[in-house]
Amino acid sequence: MNFVERTLAGFVNAMERALYAEELAKADGLLQRLDPRIKVIGILALVVAAAMAHKLWVIGAVFAIALILAVYSRVSPAILAKRVWLPVLLFTGIIALPAPLVISGREVWRLPWLDWPLTAQGLASASCLVTRVETAATLSVLLVLCTPWSRVLKALRVLGVPVVFVVILGMAYRYIFLLLESAHDMLESRRSRMVGELEGPERRRVAAASVGVLISKTLQMSGDVYGAMLARGFRGEVYVLDDFKTATLDWIMLTVFVALASGAFYCGR
Amino acid sequence: MHIPDGYLSPSTCAVLYGTSVPFWYIALRRVKKFLATRLVPLLSVVAALAFVIMMFNLPLPGGTTGHAVGVAIATIILGPWASILAISTALLIQAIFFGDGGITTLGANCFNMAIVGSLTAYAVYRVVAGHAPLTSSRRVVAAALAGYTAINAAAFCAAVEFGIQPLFFTDPNGAPLYAPYALSIAIPAMMIGHLTFAGLAELVLSAGVVAYFQRTNPSLLKLTAPGALPADEAMRPVPSQSTWSTVRPLGTALALLLVLTPLGILAAGTAWGEWNARDFFNPQAREKIAAASGNIAPPVQAPRGLERLYSVWTAPFPQYTPAFVRRPAVGYALSAMFGSGIIILVFLIAGSLAFRRRRQPSSAGSNVTATGDPTPIPTSRDPALPKGEG
Amino acid sequence: MPVPVFDVREVTFRYHQLTALDRLNLAIEPGKRVALLGANGSGKSTLLRILDGLVFPEKGLVTFCGESLTAERLQDPDFTYEFRRRVGLVFQNPDTQLFSPTVFDEVAFGPLQLQWPKEKIRAQVEQMLEVMKITHLKDRSPHHLSTGEKKHVTLASVLVLDPEVLLLDEPTAALDPKSASQMIDFLIGLRGGAKTVVTTTHDLDIVEDVADHCFIFQTGRVVAEGAPADLLRETSLLEQTNLVHAHRHVHTSGETHSHPHLHSHQH
Repeated sequence: MNFVERTLAGFVNAMERALYAEELAKADGLLQRLDPRIKVIGILALVVAAAMAHKLWVIGAVFAIALILAVYSRVSPAILAKRVWLPVLLFTGIIALPAPLVISGREVWRLPWLDWPLTAQGLASASCLVTRVETAATLSVLLVLCTPWSRVLKALRVLGVPVVFVVILGMAYRYIFLLLESAHDMLESRRSRMVGELEGPERRRVAAASVGVLISKTLQMSGDVYGAMLARGFRGEVYVLDDFKTATLDWIMLTVFVALASGAFYCGR
Repeated sequence: MHIPDGYLSPSTCAVLYGTSVPFWYIALRRVKKFLATRLVPLLSVVAALAFVIMMFNLPLPGGTTGHAVGVAIATIILGPWASILAISTALLIQAIFFGDGGITTLGANCFNMAIVGSLTAYAVYRVVAGHAPLTSSRRVVAAALAGYTAINAAAFCAAVEFGIQPLFFTDPNGAPLYAPYALSIAIPAMMIGHLTFAGLAELVLSAGVVAYFQRTNPSLLKLTAPGALPADEAMRPVPSQSTWSTVRPLGTALALLLVLTPLGILAAGTAWGEWNARDFFNPQAREKIAAASGNIAPPVQAPRGLERLYSVWTAPFPQYTPAFVRRPAVGYALSAMFGSGIIILVFLIAGSLAFRRRRQPSSAGSNVTATGDPTPIPTSRDPALPKGEG
Repeated sequence: MPVPVFDVREVTFRYHQLTALDRLNLAIEPGKRVALLGANGSGKSTLLRILDGLVFPEKGLVTFCGESLTAERLQDPDFTYEFRRRVGLVFQNPDTQLFSPTVFDEVAFGPLQLQWPKEKIRAQVEQMLEVMKITHLKDRSPHHLSTGEKKHVTLASVLVLDPEVLLLDEPTAALDPKSASQMIDFLIGLRGGAKTVVTTTHDLDIVEDVADHCFIFQTGRVVAEGAPADLLRETSLLEQTNLVHAHRHVHTSGETHSHPHLHSHQH
């Protein structure tokens, strides 16, 4: 597979991912029903608790909580396994693999033939890293899968993210898809015109030119977008419409999230 | 390069968020001054662009492919401050929406790639490109070096962040809690990959795109090329420069040296860990540490790892640490060197921005814009001119 | 004679070395539906942007209801507020003007900029979505919409401010026949309303539906004006301005037509 095809596959994958998230965000599940602000605070509290815990079983417990949340929010473990657990295991697992050999400590076992010692500290460290990364990744994926992106953005304001960034993030996200489509079409047409394999330098020239075309188009588009905003009364300041409603369930879940996170924090010290 | 959640301790993450905030603040203020009401649309669209560029698979020498961050090309076209904001925004979307890079580690990722990356790329590009004409091949070389250096500087920062984890954060048995490898492993492991492979993707992208714009639309390269000679004057002897422009390359070299020397020694050993655990309770020493760490107050309690490590401090990597580095005074001196290097760099960049602004009006005067503000971002067309017309 | 909504006098606009408008004169009367006809590059879209105060002519004068429309005038927040409330522009490319995360946010953007009370914004946006029959798209992201849906959203996002003057740039361009006819039905519905509507197009088929008066543009100047029915009969004029070209065509029945028959040329 050449670079054009790989890039195209990446684009399609990103678009599919976004579509899947949007579909799932509409489902009727526990997290979907919550006010986005509660979700952002609650899930972030759990991520931080998992990051702070010094004990493996505590991180494991937070992982179990994430799993329960997933099941009640109609996110199937199979999807999580495919999108989160396996990729994380492959990446972080490989990084953690040499740890038992490299980190000094109490020897628990020797590799046959090679006669390298495995240390308890190394094993503990490797498993701690992998569990922690899996837990945090699962939680953050849950947040995005169960909340439409536009609502995640508005909820970021409770964390003190300024309105201007909330608007910029929203617009950037929207234009990512326009640019992905535009880049996709450009590369498709380029692929249809490419006969045979290009030489290395020629390949790089084609790739750089594609990015160049995209940059020119984008800068030009930013002018058009600016004009369209001005035409509708934009004067530099941005305003957003908040449409949050909290129900009893939100407050119950906020209490649950905070209790779980503080419990994990306390036990994990 | 995108550090996921769980690799860095929460306190490291907090420090890096804290370090990034002033840069974001300054960047936002500077960019807002230039762009006025154009800030929101331009930054949004450019952040989306940065995101999409990160998804491009680039063909590398040797038949492999790789992804670039696009930080050098963003810096060359938009300037370092707008690049910091655009890349940070793209990283945030990657982290939250696509799970690429963590949420707690977002500050670290932005610091490494957006902030260190943009500023390094800018310094290298400006120094190497000098006053070469916009279409000079020297600018392609400068862009290539800027990309390669920026990504390696970012990787180096990430490696240091990884490497200090086992120094400070271990469980009672001494098992590292976060990234498990010490600096002596983390730095070579990160750098070998980036010096040989990942850096090339950035190199190919920035050089290729600059070469492309030289052919199609050189005006896009104007922003970060203030004293660029017109192409036909390139052969004439260089006119006498102001003191500022002759001093600048020297100053930049000095600053880079100041920054890189302590980092280099740190790479060989672990100079940063020279503070002993008791220092955390001693107000005077705390001040010193704060000064050495770029005025970020150290935690009131000594990190547990450090407390324990104190007793065995001389032992961990004796073969890697030159003896003189183990003296605390040297550690402080090195940190001070690093700090002053950073400060000089920031001043140089700010200075050259001011230099550029003085030159700006003559070139921007002919632009017709809706609000009448100067157009610092060289869009290829007027803001509101329709497609297919004109 | 009433004060014209827009009075354009001797306006010249150049983009780099290219002249987009060349000492242009025209006036648009209140309550009229006007079409600006011209091939691509004839300067009609540039004129719309000038009328909307997004770009300003190099030479000449544009007035809006008797007030001159200049960059300095639009620095005045009160004037800008009034002007933006009274004049709405729908661009040709829906993608550049749909910049919000959802359709609801998109329609609410204008009212938010004019700082209406939040309750009024919610009510007006809901009502506008109802009118345009796009309530079901409310929470969708713009990138999941079809071109026809996008056009409807852009129209809704401008109409929600209830502007007195509506500027439309190629409203039927790039639409499939069904969406185009929906759009035309909507524009016909504006007939006899209180709004002044200025539509640019190179699609002769829609002119009679959307306008009572039209101007024909060529290389930045008005070469003819009059009632659509009269102008559409002037075959040589239309050919000369590249709005039509003679071509043979076969009807679906298979018969060949013998009477003179003109078709617009779509690119």
